[in-house]
Amino acid sequence: MRAPTSAVTRGLTLAAGLTLVLAACSSGGSGDNGKGGSHSLASCSAPGKADTCNSGDRKPGGTFTYTIEKNIQQWNVLDSNGNVFETGEVMSAVLPQVFVPQPDLSMKLNTDLVTSAQQTSDSPQTIVYKINPKAKWDDGTPISADDFIYYWRTMNGKDCPPPPSSDTSQTKGCLPFSTSGWDRIKSVTGSDGGKTVTMVMKKPYTDWKSLFGGGYGLYPAHVAEKVAGVPAGSADKMTGAQLTKGWQYFNKTPPTKYATAGAYKMTEWKDNDHATFVPDPKWYGKTKPTLKRLLFKVISDATQEPTALRNNEVQGIYPQPQVDLVSQIKSIPHVTYTIGSGLVWEHFDLNLHNPVIGKYKALRQAMFTAISVKDVIAKTVGQFDSKVKQLGSHNLVPGQPGYQDVVTPTGQGSGDLAKAKKYLTDAKFTGIGTALKTPDGKAVGPFNCRYTTGNAIRQSECQILQSSLHNLGIKVTIKPIGAADLGKVLTGHQYDIIVFAWVDGPTPTSNAQGIWSTGQSSNFGGYSNKQVDKLLADSVGQTDTAKAMSMLNQADKIMTDDAYVLPLYQKPTFFAVQDRFVGMRDNATIVGPPYNVQDWGLAK
Amino acid sequence: MTETTEATGAMDGERPPEEREFTVVERTQAQLVLRRFLRHRAAMISLVIFVLIVLWAFIGPHLWHYSYQKYTPDNSQPPSAKHPFGTNSAGYDSYAQVMRGTQTSLKVAILIALGSTFVGAVWGAVAGFYRGVVDAVMMRISDLVLTLPLLAIALVISSRTGGSWYWIALVIAGLTWAYVSRVVRSTVLSLREKEFVEAARALGASDARIIFRHLLPNSLGPIFVNATILVATGILTETALSFLGFGVQPPDTSLGLLVSQAQTAVDTRPWLFYIPGAFIIAIALTINFIGDGLRDAFDPRQQRVRQ
Amino acid sequence: MLAYAVRRVLVSIPVLIASTFIVFLVVVNAGDPVANFATSRNPAPSKAAVAAFARHLHADQPVVQRYWNWIVGVLHGQWGPSVEPNLDIGHDLLTRFRVTVVLVVASMLVALVLAVVFGVYSAVRQYSASDYAITFAGFLFLAMPVFWFAVLLKQAGIWLNQQTGSTFLGTIGDRSPYLDVNTFGNQVSDRIGHLILPVITLALVSFASWTRYTRASMLEVLGSDYVRLARAKGIRRGKVLTHHALRTALIPLATVTALDVAQLLGGVVITETIFQWHGLGEMLVQSVSKVDVYRTMAWLLLSAAIVIVFNLIADLLYAVLDPRIRYD
Repeated sequence: MRAPTSAVTRGLTLAAGLTLVLAACSSGGSGDNGKGGSHSLASCSAPGKADTCNSGDRKPGGTFTYTIEKNIQQWNVLDSNGNVFETGEVMSAVLPQVFVPQPDLSMKLNTDLVTSAQQTSDSPQTIVYKINPKAKWDDGTPISADDFIYYWRTMNGKDCPPPPSSDTSQTKGCLPFSTSGWDRIKSVTGSDGGKTVTMVMKKPYTDWKSLFGGGYGLYPAHVAEKVAGVPAGSADKMTGAQLTKGWQYFNKTPPTKYATAGAYKMTEWKDNDHATFVPDPKWYGKTKPTLKRLLFKVISDATQEPTALRNNEVQGIYPQPQVDLVSQIKSIPHVTYTIGSGLVWEHFDLNLHNPVIGKYKALRQAMFTAISVKDVIAKTVGQFDSKVKQLGSHNLVPGQPGYQDVVTPTGQGSGDLAKAKKYLTDAKFTGIGTALKTPDGKAVGPFNCRYTTGNAIRQSECQILQSSLHNLGIKVTIKPIGAADLGKVLTGHQYDIIVFAWVDGPTPTSNAQGIWSTGQSSNFGGYSNKQVDKLLADSVGQTDTAKAMSMLNQADKIMTDDAYVLPLYQKPTFFAVQDRFVGMRDNATIVGPPYNVQDWGLAK
Repeated sequence: MTETTEATGAMDGERPPEEREFTVVERTQAQLVLRRFLRHRAAMISLVIFVLIVLWAFIGPHLWHYSYQKYTPDNSQPPSAKHPFGTNSAGYDSYAQVMRGTQTSLKVAILIALGSTFVGAVWGAVAGFYRGVVDAVMMRISDLVLTLPLLAIALVISSRTGGSWYWIALVIAGLTWAYVSRVVRSTVLSLREKEFVEAARALGASDARIIFRHLLPNSLGPIFVNATILVATGILTETALSFLGFGVQPPDTSLGLLVSQAQTAVDTRPWLFYIPGAFIIAIALTINFIGDGLRDAFDPRQQRVRQ
Repeated sequence: MLAYAVRRVLVSIPVLIASTFIVFLVVVNAGDPVANFATSRNPAPSKAAVAAFARHLHADQPVVQRYWNWIVGVLHGQWGPSVEPNLDIGHDLLTRFRVTVVLVVASMLVALVLAVVFGVYSAVRQYSASDYAITFAGFLFLAMPVFWFAVLLKQAGIWLNQQTGSTFLGTIGDRSPYLDVNTFGNQVSDRIGHLILPVITLALVSFASWTRYTRASMLEVLGSDYVRLARAKGIRRGKVLTHHALRTALIPLATVTALDVAQLLGGVVITETIFQWHGLGEMLVQSVSKVDVYRTMAWLLLSAAIVIVFNLIADLLYAVLDPRIRYD
């Protein structure tokens, strides 16, 4: 009887030893926690520091590897297929933009490209861009009005129409990601040897600063002209077919193959793996790049990013934060990080196609009032970011000009059960707190709460909603959405309550119109209010931004009263880099942290 | 494996059945197998641990004061008297969750083992018994099943059924029975030539009777051993599917789901990572030892070899 | 034997057709890539863009017709459109195949060599402490979830790197994006450094089961009459082991190895995800989760072909190595 006993004990000892060794390994990295340097990104969350934090003197040399989470096959960020965050990040390193979205969410004029961009007349709205005489594509061709004209003509939806219905290849036309703004332009003309661009609008456009930039850079028109076989500088005369040729070329071709105009030049693209950039010797800007090499490495599974950073395989990561990920990064020596407030915001949506939810405003108000957003935050993002607060607007985030909290004054998201019940008693609902019934005696619910599978945060959000609504007498079942099914669930209205996120773009007014106006394709829950429609439509076409924002907020108040969507909070962003580098900052807008690659470098 | 087992085991095994009729007490095949199994120390210890885990997973939740689907106000707490396995970020009690997860994983694994063993055994036995065209067609169908990628099928199931444990189990079983059918078929192919089958046939037994009364019972050894292996691989397969996001879906939970949710928590909240992982290992390990014991019990030849 | 091989391949064609048809149906019904496209971009793509996308994927055609067109296309070397813009599925398949082959072959070699060494040792020293240790370790490896182990292994690798102050062991990808000193030697060591952790992960399960297999068949051979005879004739123990026993014992291992290739291809999915190798495993996960029908089908065809070929090799090996078996 001896042998097996000892074998088992020996085996167990072996197993225990193995675990101990591995456990020792796993804690080893965090052993020298504390000497993590100055945590210079940490200052980014201080007020007014977002645009200037983590700066410092640089010394030449060094290789910085930044992480992107998706492979890139579509290189035209203006195309609706290519309008992906990662493509935008990569292309903004090489393509010039007129206004660049900054970490503090403002739009900053890129004086390397244009010396000025001003609205010179209100009626018709006219904007004049003065191109910096030094601005050149790296093959020596000056950046000129031709590039602006080309940009506009591909985007306005008319000069380069979408593919005909006989085309099954998506290649016989242009499919811009959005035509809003572009379709309001009457003309774009060049003068002063192509160095002055005058844009005249048919109808005013509030968000004109997002045109020719705002995360979407200018592609070189002369390259497109060459591909289409037309003389250089003739963008204003190109036919639809010729514009299509250029468009398709930019769709398929990585910028290693054509002239670009950034501080860095992409020299290599290895599909599924990485892009390599080196300083562009022809760079015309004030700030010279100092890195020897800049890489964008594809890591498609965010959970692998902290280990790659710890192992010095990448030097900067920009994953969606989660409590363990944040504490993992905290324990890595010589890494600095920041948690920012993003433009992405989480929300509960009610489906107004549901006959009961759609019919009773009081019910919707009661539901939203019963939910405590504070609890939601405490169970989710609050655990790694104590700054997160309830978001009070459907269109803007704090820090954006015009932000106004229209939600919390109504009591929605307060978790005030008494107030919620009062809405229901006033509207003559019965069975409050037990089994809720409508005034005409129909049962309320059970409703489903849907979220994308695998998202633990949203799962908790649905669960909190479940227990809040239970207090009103509404039964909620939680039903995850399959990995590839979100689109179908949204467009097919297969939900009662759904939790997902919207991202606020650089164009708040046209964004709002696309989401909340009657019949829009992104208005999944079927919201419709004529007053809101009118206010939103008007807000898009203003020459005075302040006025547009006040209209936007007015519409938002009405919408909040209708209790259609409950904003929860801004999703935190998370940016971590090794502290031997300076210049990197979190930028929650669509350009992402690479908005200022020319400032990146080794700390002196 | 012990020296005593060695001695008696050797004696039991070496005697051909005819000789045994002359000893004092006649032992049936089942008794022999059981005796040999009971003497397999590692298998017996494993069996006890396994049974304890099963009891804990199925009875425990009724005695424990937290539910796996009700959150508590304690978020991300390390293990304590109140929460022996700690809590996760949403404040769920991990002890309750691991119990529920173990229960679900066991249910998944056992359904896989039972389902695929039953279908596979009958399928393999019929194919092996009839041979010829029937065999060819049935085995090509098995081949077909073996080429289907589990991931693709599991994705559809998880999006269509909300990832209930029985659907996950049915999908895995629906693909693994083909392995079992191959094993059973090859056993039956050799059995069908044995004298006792000839005898049954000569006595006018129907095909069904031969298959179910003679061939299958005599293939029980490989079938049992395979079934235990299937329990272990079943748990691991569900874990792998959970890692890829196609396994059991919340609000229900499984060990695989718990451990894959805690992937990033190794350093930061180790209790979430190591505890469910340890349970997976404990279950799979004990099952493998039980399977090993069964193999030795059914087929003691390997054990006796000595140089 | 050639006739047998040809017949086997022919028989597998209807199996392949049925299998692709089933998977086609399954994936087509798994979700709606057009709706996903329409809702995943901000701002939402225009109706024209959504319609063009749907036409591009042939989502407007009946399923049977799509399947038929796919078969015809494949016979002409066209793999069909992908949900991913501009993705050439044939090219994707080929580049990813190259990545995965390296991983799988390296893992198989490592697992085989170690399995033979430990299996034989375990059999020769049956019931010794080391036999028990090897057996227990084998069972332990078979009981560990692959990704659970991989997470710990990665931590261990990084810890080792930190102790030596190097970045020799890679945790991401199959090679570094750049080398400071780009010599052949550095390239080789870079590739090896990136191989070590994923190979251990992938080889673990095969190693465990092949060790058990070697041990069992070795024990059987060692107990056979001819080995006893050889020993009785006074041939040295070592010589009997290598010349007589081992050769016979390896026959079943060879066939099992060939059959397990399919399993390894399945196991590569998790290893590739954790170590970010952009190979066939990642391709399957991506295409399945994005309802990328044609890309899934391409994966299926390749993996089914590999399975069929290796099953055939297993059977033929059996016949070649064991003269008692004949195919006609």
